[in-house]
Amino acid sequence: MKKTSLGISLGLFVFLLAGCNNDSNSEANADADSNSDGGEERLSVSIMAPSFAAEPAGEDSPALQAIEEYTNTDIDLQFVANANYEDRFNVTLASGEFPEIMVANKEPSFINAARDGAFWDLTDHLDDYENLSQANEIVLNNTTIDGRIYGVYRARPLGRNGAAINKQWLDNLGLEMPETIEEFHEVLRAFTNDDPNQSGKDDTYGMVVSEWEGPWNTMQVWMGAPNQWGFDENNKLAPDFTFDEYREALVFFKELYDEGLVNEDFAVMDSGQWTEPLVNQEAGVFVDVLDAANRIQNQITEGYTEENQILDVFGAVEGPHGLHTLPTAGYAGMLAISKTAVETEEELKRVLQFLDDLNDEEVQNLAYIGVEGVHHEIVDGVLDITSQADGGTKFESEVSDLNQFQMAIPEENFMEQPQTALQEKAAALMEENMEFVVANPAEPLISPTYTERGQQLDNIIDDARIQYIVGQIDDAEFDAEIERWMGAGGTEYIAEINQAYEESQAAE
Amino acid sequence: MPKVDVDHSTSIEPISVRKVSKWKMLKRDKWLFLLLLPGLIWFLVFKYVPMWGALIAFKDYSPYLGFWASDWVGFTHFERLFQNPDFYRILKNTLILAFYETIFVFPAPIILALMLNEIRFTKYKRIIQTVIYIPNFMSWVIVASLSYVFLTTSGGAVNVIIESLTGQTFNFLSSPEWFRSMIIGQQIWKDAGFGTIIFLAALSGVSSEQYEAAIVDGAGRFRRMWHVTLPAIRNVIVILLILRMGNFLDQGFQQIYLMTNSLNRSVADVFDVYIYFSGITQGAFSHSTAVGLFKGVVGIILILSTRYIAKRLNQETLF
Amino acid sequence: MVVKSHNTPLGRVFDVFNYIILAIIALAMIVPFFYVIAGSFSTESELARRAFFIIPETFSLNAYKYIFSTPTFIRGIGVSVFVTIAGTLISLSLTLTMGYALSKSRLIGHKWYIYIVIFTIIFQGGMIPTYLLIRDLGLLNSLWALILPIAMNPMWLIIVISFFRNIPKELEESARIDGCTDLGVFWKIALPLSKPIIATFALFYAVQYWGDYFNALLYISDNSKYPVMLLLQNIMTMADTQFGEVDTLVEQPDESLKLAVIVVATVPIMLVYPFLQKHFAKGMMLGSVKG
Repeated sequence: MKKTSLGISLGLFVFLLAGCNNDSNSEANADADSNSDGGEERLSVSIMAPSFAAEPAGEDSPALQAIEEYTNTDIDLQFVANANYEDRFNVTLASGEFPEIMVANKEPSFINAARDGAFWDLTDHLDDYENLSQANEIVLNNTTIDGRIYGVYRARPLGRNGAAINKQWLDNLGLEMPETIEEFHEVLRAFTNDDPNQSGKDDTYGMVVSEWEGPWNTMQVWMGAPNQWGFDENNKLAPDFTFDEYREALVFFKELYDEGLVNEDFAVMDSGQWTEPLVNQEAGVFVDVLDAANRIQNQITEGYTEENQILDVFGAVEGPHGLHTLPTAGYAGMLAISKTAVETEEELKRVLQFLDDLNDEEVQNLAYIGVEGVHHEIVDGVLDITSQADGGTKFESEVSDLNQFQMAIPEENFMEQPQTALQEKAAALMEENMEFVVANPAEPLISPTYTERGQQLDNIIDDARIQYIVGQIDDAEFDAEIERWMGAGGTEYIAEINQAYEESQAAE
Repeated sequence: MPKVDVDHSTSIEPISVRKVSKWKMLKRDKWLFLLLLPGLIWFLVFKYVPMWGALIAFKDYSPYLGFWASDWVGFTHFERLFQNPDFYRILKNTLILAFYETIFVFPAPIILALMLNEIRFTKYKRIIQTVIYIPNFMSWVIVASLSYVFLTTSGGAVNVIIESLTGQTFNFLSSPEWFRSMIIGQQIWKDAGFGTIIFLAALSGVSSEQYEAAIVDGAGRFRRMWHVTLPAIRNVIVILLILRMGNFLDQGFQQIYLMTNSLNRSVADVFDVYIYFSGITQGAFSHSTAVGLFKGVVGIILILSTRYIAKRLNQETLF
Repeated sequence: MVVKSHNTPLGRVFDVFNYIILAIIALAMIVPFFYVIAGSFSTESELARRAFFIIPETFSLNAYKYIFSTPTFIRGIGVSVFVTIAGTLISLSLTLTMGYALSKSRLIGHKWYIYIVIFTIIFQGGMIPTYLLIRDLGLLNSLWALILPIAMNPMWLIIVISFFRNIPKELEESARIDGCTDLGVFWKIALPLSKPIIATFALFYAVQYWGDYFNALLYISDNSKYPVMLLLQNIMTMADTQFGEVDTLVEQPDESLKLAVIVVATVPIMLVYPFLQKHFAKGMMLGSVKG
């Protein structure tokens, strides 16, 4: 008796709960209806994308409507707060209710879903479209899963890494911008020992590094180490730390540390505090992404001009083995097309056409700067985003995050507000860097062992590197750590990567 | 002092006589069942319906394929966990930290509540209470960043003071020896104040007559604390302690992760960090669920042992 | 304490010590919060320059101007207030009723019900099954999805049960003799005697609902239904370099804005405690329990 009554009340309870939501459901349906009455040929797509703005652009945004008009498509934007986008992505996979287009990161759950057939294989389709066919080969290769393309990447500058340097100090010391690793070393020494701020006190040092391992990765490639994977003498893929150049770089780093050219507590420095010594002009060099320099300069002098600009930037310095630098992956996630929501090849072609259209200059402008006369004005060829001025929020609520489903293929092609000299130089250097970035040959390859234990494996070597730099372990102990890495799954990882590489070569 | 605790769970209430049939008992307690029902339904719907999720520990779960289409793999994920070369290090780190948390973090709010209870100026007491509950609302990101500011060897306030007194500095942030103390300290800072609330609520049940009686008996300050105040919150302490055992191996991922660096990782790797990296960032749902189940089994064993000990000590344990 | 007792010298020493220690503790606990407040009123360059301060050199309201210039945050606070109040009421009703019923060991199967509760402290279904449940209940994108999945905390329920056990039997018996049913006893005797407990768990639940952003992240897709904590979380993780490089497309939020959002998102819930504090005062629950 108890059981049945329990069942009934349980059902009732569920029913009551379900009843609460009827309103919003019917509302959504009504919306869908009202949208479908414009033009019969109109394509209708839902897009799931991360949002960063507190108030991302919604359906009533004139910019979005203009994009819909241009592409002849009804766009239903499903923005997900960027905080833990991955979780939402996973539950969406599990729910089976797919939007036509999802922004996906090349993370294991996407990889698995793609392998299980959740998304369209676009490898043989991209060439049919004007913009998409011009996608960058390196980046495209980076996005592949088992050699196939499952999404159109969202392009980002490949040559983004570089360094900010205190130009005033260089001038004070009569030094030139460093071009080789020796000059770089000299500059750091001078910044530390030769009183670059002319205070008469020993209150400066060369370079600030935080617990974030990025700067070491970049400088390592300057020194000639491969980008994560390189080919050894047997033409097999091997991880970077097995190369002599890597060890050379380690010795160099240790020198920097021992000479006091780097902040002593870098291994524990909160990355939130990382830029502080640069702003306070205690440290003179900062290796990170090139666009960071402008941000830091603004913290030194808000709204700076060329007269009071203190920082300068450089892309890379030439190491003992030539001029090299570390690229980024060149993309930030990709737009994947669901097989559940887009059922036929016909529909797929329409969706791809839509994606292609999104790369047109008109659409890029709408997505980045909104509608002329509404969100911005162009006076004498100079862009002024009027809707953003004086704390205006029209831009934020009508344009922001529309660029989250932009791919910028073949390139970014929208109007920008006037840039500072520093920003322009950083942008130029990003282009220049492209000439000598070192690609990671294993970037597209997938290893089951790494998928499973990647974090653990990475930690072993990253930790050993830091411990070596601060002098806690020596060469022999570093070798022991490599052995530990091999034992913890590294050996399998190397074998799997090589196997995957051979397969990908054979496929081509 | 009279015996303070009555073991209610075993006391027989006058109307619940053994002879009454089950049916009659049901009928007699119908209103109680009515009170029970909404909560019970909630537990069944929101806690037990999703419980099938625990089964994915025995599958190779892929969210896209769904539960049924994913393959059964038996105990593979458990084997993988136990064969992981880092397993014993992680287990050891987790156990040590959990032990420290139990002996240092757990009693902190109790001590604080006892201290507050001795304050007689109501205003002062209220101000202190309001203030100490604030850190609970500070995110770990802020706590970690301020910890760096205060503890760094390059000009952190704490090290500057220590250096002026002793002439040396301590690598709180980087040395493995200090890691656990730092974690414990942060937890006490953040949670102790908020934790007092429940004990203060329990203490509100102590009447002034009890204190008066104790004074008449000639009990001094500390004896009153021992014989009147402490017993009043003993039940809550025991129950909280037992329940805490159920989650013994849980540590806040975020805090540990933020305080970990290359120089102290050897002591900082704990299960929750492992779960985070295997489950969330590597999409290994099945594996992280298996780790969760393992933690749960440890929790069950600990909860039952603690309950057993508590019962031997004549403590009310509720179940 | 009402009772005046002569204080021994040792007791006096203890008192002085106690007052001072508590003052130091309180200070250590509030100073970082002062920094958050000061930082929210300061400028970017000052925050980048000074590691820690509690009085800004240049006073700036920019962050707050920005926050209150968009409807987003105010609406987010509105959502949070609604969820917190509605959720706390629901949670208290469920917890107090179930807690009272389970405090009676004469209830048939009483132990099993407690096992059912305790089991859920240790084992949970996980994110995906819970999501599918919420979807099947039709709660996606509804504010109920922010309340129902966390409407009860098994740990707190157990504590409530233990508190109810301490209510003097005699009071309940006499009420029953006066013709009250269990329902009547619960309503007229048990609840009025439990004000400190109700206040405690009202506070706990309120803090829980206010602080939850994860459910909103999973279940809410309409950003006009975002609670303020999700907005905060989103701003805080925007510049997260821990998992990869910062996206060039994302304009980094100002540090002062982050701090101001922390203030805006946490101060409302902090104000709840002083408000409830008077209910924690002594003597609300009759003392005869323990004698």
